[in-house]
Amino acid sequence: MGALPHDKKIGYSLKILSKVKGEPKKFYPDYLSEIIVVITIAIEVLLILVFLMPPTIGRPIDLSKPFQAIPEWYFLWLYKLVSYFHGPFIFVGTVIIPLIFIFILIALPFFDRRRGGRLIASLLGSILLLSFVMLTLISIIDLQ
Amino acid sequence: MSKFFDWLDKQFKIRSPHKRFFQRTIPPNINYTYCFGGIAFTYFLLLAMSGLLLTIYYIPTEKEAYNSVLLITNEVPLGWVIRGIHKWSASLYITFIIFHAIRVFLSRAYKPPRELNWMVGSLAFIASMASGFTGYLLPWDQKAYWATEVGTSMISTIPIAGKYIAYLVRGDSHVSANTLLRFYALHVLYLPLITIFLLWGHFHMIKRLGIASKY
Repeated sequence: MGALPHDKKIGYSLKILSKVKGEPKKFYPDYLSEIIVVITIAIEVLLILVFLMPPTIGRPIDLSKPFQAIPEWYFLWLYKLVSYFHGPFIFVGTVIIPLIFIFILIALPFFDRRRGGRLIASLLGSILLLSFVMLTLISIIDLQ
Repeated sequence: MSKFFDWLDKQFKIRSPHKRFFQRTIPPNINYTYCFGGIAFTYFLLLAMSGLLLTIYYIPTEKEAYNSVLLITNEVPLGWVIRGIHKWSASLYITFIIFHAIRVFLSRAYKPPRELNWMVGSLAFIASMASGFTGYLLPWDQKAYWATEVGTSMISTIPIAGKYIAYLVRGDSHVSANTLLRFYALHVLYLPLITIFLLWGHFHMIKRLGIASKY
């Protein structure tokens, strides 16, 4: 592997970055050396998080004690969404709205087919992202 | 060494596709946001590797699950690092899939002929979320139990069929030993296979169609 980012190659790859736009890069060695740097950074970030916040385990299951259900952070939006619906309408929050979200997510390219489609797709995409971010934030604030 | 590779190449015929892969050109007008998908895949590989290591000590039974996670965290050498890598990779994986989806949307790379690639990616994202949900139960602690109890009870709110589907998912009327075993199977067998299949399709289409450069 001649593309390992030892000093000379890194210098080379940085020169590539400052290249005038319009010239195609070769995967090897230009792009590959950049990928290796990015992967290294990704693993470093991961290890820093692991060492700063090592994994913990909660108390053993005790059904006699009530406990607040706190899911993984990427499900907080769903649990928050469900809490806005009550009684016979609860399945709107648990099933219907999530299914609509999944449908929009999967079908997003097909909304951008006709003229003005990009606007519709952008609106729908923004609704998805904003719902996810806002509900997660509300949930985190409520938990504290 | 080269003789060994010649011998290997005679059986594997990998040199010419390998050359095509390495010598292809990359569009000039892409930037570092195009790395998000690759970073997500890096975390996926780390998840697979750390997950394989975790299965060595983890026991998916009602009595032993909690203790085995305790053992991995406190006694197995570097067990806490492996568990930490698994847990944090999962979060970073989901985060970077979302960043990647935003990048694809903003660069409008989902346009024909790449709509199927967007759909396959979305399905892989859903499979990954499901992996996160099933994996959350496995430590078998108070937090995991109640999050899964509430999460699976959402399924039972589906009109008419809800109760039966929830029973199918849990293997019981509430979260129990059956649920633990089912979620374990889903988490280490079914969902990884589905995700690998979807990612294979995802990458195959990128290989065939090339990286979408900005319009």
